[in-house]
Parts: sequence; C-alpha cells; structure tokens
Amino acid sequence: MPSLLLEIGCEELPAAACREAERQLPELARAHVGAEPSEIFVGPRRIGFLIEDLPARTDDEWVKGPPESLREQAAAGFAKKHGVGVDQLEARDGFLGVTLPGRELVDVLPEQLDRVLRGFSFGKTMRWDESGLRFARPVRWMLAKLDAQTILGETSFGHRFTHGLVEIPDAHEYADALRAVDVEPVAAERRRLIVEQLDAIGGWSDPGGKLDEVVHLVEKGSVLAGRFDERFLQLPERVVVTTMQSHQRYFPLGGNRFAVVTNGGEPETVRAGHTQVLEARLEDATFTFERDVAVGIDALAERLGSITFFGGAGSFAEKADRVQRLAGRLGGGDASNEAARLAKADQASELVREFPDLEGYIGAEYARLAGYPEAVTKAIEEQYLPDSAGGPLPETEPGKVLAAADKLDTLRVSFELGHKPSGSRDPYGLRRAAIGLNRLAVEGGLTIERELLPDEVRDFVEERLESLLEVPVEYVRAARASNVPDLGGLARRAEELYRERDSSAFDGVYTAYDRAHRLAGRARDEAATSLDRGLLVEDAEKALAEALAKVAIDGNGDLEASLESGAQLAPLMERFFDEVLVMDEDAAVRANRLRLLLDVRDTLGALGDFSQIPR
Amino acid sequence: MIIALEGYWAGQGCVLAQPYHTELAAGTMSPNTFIRCLGPKAWKIAYVEPVIRPLDGRYGENPFRFQHYFQYQVILKPAPENVLDLYWASLEALGIDLKQHDMRLVEDDWEQPTLGAWGLGWEVWCDGMEITQWTYFQQLGGIDVDLVPAEMTYGLERLAMFLQGKRTAFELEWAPGVTWGDVYREAERQWSKYNFEEAPVDVLTRRFDEHEAECMQLLERGLPIPAYDQVLKASHTFNLLDARGAISVTERAVYIGRVRNLARAVAKAHVEAEREAEDSAVAAA
Repeated sequence: MPSLLLEIGCEELPAAACREAERQLPELARAHVGAEPSEIFVGPRRIGFLIEDLPARTDDEWVKGPPESLREQAAAGFAKKHGVGVDQLEARDGFLGVTLPGRELVDVLPEQLDRVLRGFSFGKTMRWDESGLRFARPVRWMLAKLDAQTILGETSFGHRFTHGLVEIPDAHEYADALRAVDVEPVAAERRRLIVEQLDAIGGWSDPGGKLDEVVHLVEKGSVLAGRFDERFLQLPERVVVTTMQSHQRYFPLGGNRFAVVTNGGEPETVRAGHTQVLEARLEDATFTFERDVAVGIDALAERLGSITFFGGAGSFAEKADRVQRLAGRLGGGDASNEAARLAKADQASELVREFPDLEGYIGAEYARLAGYPEAVTKAIEEQYLPDSAGGPLPETEPGKVLAAADKLDTLRVSFELGHKPSGSRDPYGLRRAAIGLNRLAVEGGLTIERELLPDEVRDFVEERLESLLEVPVEYVRAARASNVPDLGGLARRAEELYRERDSSAFDGVYTAYDRAHRLAGRARDEAATSLDRGLLVEDAEKALAEALAKVAIDGNGDLEASLESGAQLAPLMERFFDEVLVMDEDAAVRANRLRLLLDVRDTLGALGDFSQIPR
Repeated sequence: MIIALEGYWAGQGCVLAQPYHTELAAGTMSPNTFIRCLGPKAWKIAYVEPVIRPLDGRYGENPFRFQHYFQYQVILKPAPENVLDLYWASLEALGIDLKQHDMRLVEDDWEQPTLGAWGLGWEVWCDGMEITQWTYFQQLGGIDVDLVPAEMTYGLERLAMFLQGKRTAFELEWAPGVTWGDVYREAERQWSKYNFEEAPVDVLTRRFDEHEAECMQLLERGLPIPAYDQVLKASHTFNLLDARGAISVTERAVYIGRVRNLARAVAKAHVEAEREAEDSAVAAA
C-alpha cells in the first residue's frame, strides 16, 4: 500500500504557529485523509506529514435512500441525484440505496489535501494574495507525493541560501533528502541536535525558556559559543542574562560566555557578528542601568504617581500606599514598611520598561546601591514570590509580609473592579496570587487575618486551599465555616478535624451538632432571637442550657481540648431528645427550645461546619 | 549604501521618492505608504525617510538611541510571490554575502495604534542584528487593504554599522573623514533637551487641537491628502507632549484615539474619493 507525503511550504512561520501546526496535523490527517500520520514535519519553512500504507482506493460507500415502500414516489429522484438508473438501486433492510464505488486515491487526494491546508487554526492569520487564503504566513509551495508519484507541486526546497530546489524521489525519502540540504524537518530531532551541541559546549542554561522558540527559528541549527567583553560583568548578572535571552535568544554559559543557535553562515563571521550585537545590547543596558542608578530608587518611587497599575486601579503610587498599609496590618515592621514604599519604584525605571521580567530584582539592586539595609532590599526582591505553584517562598519575614500584602492588594482591587477570573482567562494572575497567599500562610507561617479579605476574595482564596491541602475537601469546607481568624489557622483546623475524625470527642461533638442542626437548622425563622432561661421547663433542657454555658470552645486554640469540652454536650443532648418535645404547643416554649438547639449548634460550629462532613 | 538600494529598487520598477516634508515617526506614515497602500491600485515605491521619535532621544549620550535617524522604505503593492527573494537580492546588492551570514526572519508583528494599522511580518536578523522590519500590511486606517502590500523598512544606521563593522552609530563614517557623530550628535543633544525639557506644553496642546480641527475641515471639503498632513502634525505634536511627560496614562489613550479617528476618517475619505474618480472615469469612457 502506498505512502503519502505532504509538505506545505511557507515563508518563515512564527514558533507559536509551528507549535499549533504540530498539534493539529495528526487530527487534520485523520479528519481529511482518514489515516494516522507516522511522522510529523514542522519547521520555520515547512509543515507536513508522512502517512504510511494508505489504501490505494477509497472504500465503496453504501448510500441509504428512501424506504422501499416509497419506491413509486421517491426512487427516481434519489437515483437521479446519484447519477444512476432506478433499476440500479439495491434494496437493503427495507431501504433502497446505491453503492458508490471507491475512488482512486490519486483522484481524491488533491481535494483532501486542500481541506488539510484550509483546516489549520492559527492564533493569528493573514492574507497575502488574491486567493484570500488565510494562514500564519504566506504559503509558497505545496508538495504531495504518493510513493514516487507526484500528486501536488513539483519539488521541495532546501536551506534558503545554501540550497535551492530539491527533488524528492519518493515519499519515504523526504526527510533524508532534506537532511542532505541543511534542513532537519522533524522538530524533535532538531531540538535533540541543538541540545546535543549545547551539552557538548557545556554549562548552558535557559532561565527564560527560549529553547522552544529557538527550535523553530532555524531549519537545522548549528550552535556557536562566543565571549563578550568582561567589563559587562559589572552589570547585575540577571541584567546580563536577560539581555542575552530576551532579544537575542542566546543561552548563557556562565561568566562572559554565551551560546547562539544559528541558521547557517561562516562560523567565524557569524560568531563575530553575534558578539558585536550582544556587546551593543549590553552597552545599551549599561547606559540604561546607569541612568536609573543616577536617578536613584527614591526619586523613581516619587514618579509612580504617573504610572497606572491597571485600568481603574489607580497609579502605582496608590498601590504602594495600599500595600504599605496592608503590610502594617500583616504585622510587618519597619523593614516591610520601607520595602513596601520602595517595592514598586522599579516600575518607573527604564530597565523594567525594557525588560519587564526584571521587576523586583532590579528594584532591590537599586535599593542596595542607594544603601538600604539587606532586610529591605531582600524583601523588595522577594515580593513576587512564590511566582509559580511549586516555586520557592520568600526567605525573610519582611519578604513574606510584602509578598502577601502585594497579592492581597491585587486580589482586593481586581475583585472590586469585577475582574474575576473566568475559565482559562485570568489576566491579572489572581489564581496564582490566591495560591501564593495560602502558601505564605500555610508553609510560610505568616499570620494572615481572614478579616483582611472581603467576602468574595475570601471565598476565592479559601477555595484554593481545598486543592492545596492533603485533606478531603469536606474538612476544608467545614473548617472554613469555623471562627478561626487566620488563613494558616484555617488550614490547621481542617487538618486537625481530619486527624480527630475517629476520636470519641469528635464523635460526641459531631452527633450533638448534627442532631441540633437537623432539627433546628431549618426552623431558624421560628426560633426565639435569644434564650430565655425563664421559659425552660423540663429538667433535661435546663441541664443542657447549663452545660452549654460551661462549654469552652477556643476557636483559635487547641482543637482536642475544645472537642473534649464540646463533647460534654452529647449525653445531655441525648437526654434532651429523649425527654423533651421541642415542638411544644406553646409557641413561646417551642421558640425557646429551638433557640437552645441553635445555640448548641452555633457554639460547636465555632469549630467548623460539621454538616459538611459526610458520615 | 543608499545609492545601492536606490539602484536596486529602481531596477525593480519602483518609483524613487524623496523624504516627506513634515515630521514622521516612521517611513510607514508617509502618504507614499499610508495613502497609497489603500485602495485597489498597484504601487511600487522606495525612499529614504528621516524619522523623528522624541521619546527615543538620549541627549546624544547613548550611541544606540536617537530621536532622529534614517529608514529606507520600500513598498511593493501587491506583494509579488517572490517578494522575499527580491528582498534578499537587495542585501546582495549591498554587498552582503548571504551564505556567509546567519540570516533569519524572526516573527515581529507590527501595529501602529495611532494609524489604526497592523500587519504580520518579521524582523530580519543578520548575525543577530535587526537590519530590516518586514511587514505584510493587513489594515490601514481601520480599513482592510485591497491588495496586500509588502513593506520593507531598512534601518540605515544599523545596516551601515554592520557593513562598516562599527560598534556604534557615532563611529559610522558618513563621508571620508566625517562620522555620523560629527554630523548629528550635537543636534541629538539639543533636540533631546527640547523634547524632554523645553517644548512648550500649552502651545503644543493648543496646536494639537488646531491640527485636529483643520483635518476635519479639510475632510469636509473633500481634501483627504492635505487632511492627512494634519494627522501627521497632530501625531508628532502628541509625541512631543508625550516626551515632555505632559500626558498621563489615561490621557494618552485618549490622544491616541483622537489621532486614530483622524487617520481612519482620512483613509475612508481617500478610498471613497478614489472610487468616485474611478466610477466617473468609467462613466466617461
């Protein structure tokens, strides 16, 4: 059975479009050619696939027509539509129909492959000629081969400058034919070759994650190592690395060395050229850095009034004020206060305008150069931590306070403006901020009062806790309803409830809560607003009320002791239900008894909402 | 270098034009590009354009940033199928051996909010240096282009640095014994001082309003081409105010919106005027 090669030749595709094509090609092959590709080709100037063992003809197709009973009325029309005579219709299972013979693959492929071409969906597309076809970049050739037979186009093309037209003798020889003309058509193989060369040089790193893009910036990729002038090592290291990576997509090799993945050229010439460009970039960064330093962190902080945090959220100066206040409420001392004042100053710096990734880091550097103490500069540097789900937390206390205050403010302001994340849209990174806040409380041991979170924000943040803790969600939900005052305490409460779930004290409290809740929870409207001891008639209810008054539940204290205390109510509740009829005929007595039960529930409820926990 | 480019593109049938007579922040803003790339008529042109970007000045201190520099702009409308080959050949005409160098097209999508314009394209890298901005226009003045033009904008200082092997623009040899620095550095210092410190904010604010009003008036009188000059002047006035730090972030969006509205109105009026002229020509025939 024959093999099919398709190559769509393009002008240089963006890396993102290459990745989109790579994901979509298998599905497009299945949808339009009806088979699984055995190889996918993706690179800046071509995308395509190889499908092996395609049937040389498409299958015969049975087209079902009208029921036999309608032969008189409908058969003629159906036969005509399919270009056959009425007498050629066959009957199957009570229906008339026609068998359309399969077609030669070579006849159907041009249409099928055109559907593949039109089937891509890129994030950004363009037109380039009168055909009106939209694609990520102009399509300049198509080549399709069925074994040695050419279905579409004529030839392929090798590396743009070293090789021109390339004959592809057979679908199977495509990849090898291209490898002979400085093109590696398989992205994974190209990546492997690049990494192999980088490893051979050694000591390379890619903190900015540029490799994924670089793989699609070259047709094959030769790696060269270069050295820049050592005087640029006076710049903070991350400025050097960011300069290398963000514009030029170079890989730092440590010290003044760098690696560049090239697309060809004479190595010495190319190395010299890249080195000169990098030195010019570093010199420019030096100018920018020195200008910022000359202005100084304090003067930069004063310029924040004219820089918007985001639409509707005021300026960075206002943000800094709010963060400063929140840092105070989070128990921050002088260092956090000072750090909060300066934290956003680098937003006014030229270097952050040029390299947004340097925010925080460069502000800390400028503060250090202005003579601020380590506690302040470190906090500035740590303010965006943790910046990923498993990323490190700030190490210093002022850093934790500042990081929490910053996230808290972003959450509060965003929710106030109605920028709640929806689906995958979370432009202000609120999920990350909420998770960060929880981690600062749980892992970082920072006391974050739940009061600081407005209701909606509190729900949003605490919901994130459900997936963060290794405790069934019901226990987290139960704990959320407790009167624990801070986020970290809330997490501990959920864990403790889970740990105590089989103890007898837990069982006593659970049962008392559950019975009170089941009976009185739904009759809330009928309950008296407060307990009237004068209306207590039966001994059992008097005893319960008395015991309830003695129960000591410390919302923020030792759960075990509170459970022990609360569990004292269990036998009294049992007696109460045995001896007392809650739904008394006298409305006042009834209302008072309901109140008593609600008081039991609410007193125990300070430990958590036990109704969340299934039994 | 300019002569080599002129010769090459003249050979490709381009009109050779001269720089425009008012401040432009990019060669794209010249009516030779913006106006001519609208509508259904084919157009090929090449020209040098001095570009003025007040915000980019650095008092002649930073050898990589200037408020005044030169672009060489080429438009081929519609873009022929071999347009990239034509471009590569222009580099060869400059004496660049493409096989010796690491040439790359790196995604760079272009957008000019003040003109309501965007397109997709690349920066052209030669051994890591960006030497050309390459764009297939998709929209200008908010209008989809009829024929997709290819725009090639060569950064002349960068190209010259590359060709002369100079590390900074200051050192470029402008003529035998005369450097770029000799010619422009003092002007950079003075203009930066003007742009950042001296430009009269109240006068410029008033002037912006006047250009806007004049543009609208000219459009009412059916004169989109002179009206477009007022868009350019308004745009430059805005850039000066911006460099002067006289515009807050919120105001900034409003100013950009005002210039864009003018650019859109001009584009629309021009396309309509061209269509009418064509219709009456058909009617006369």
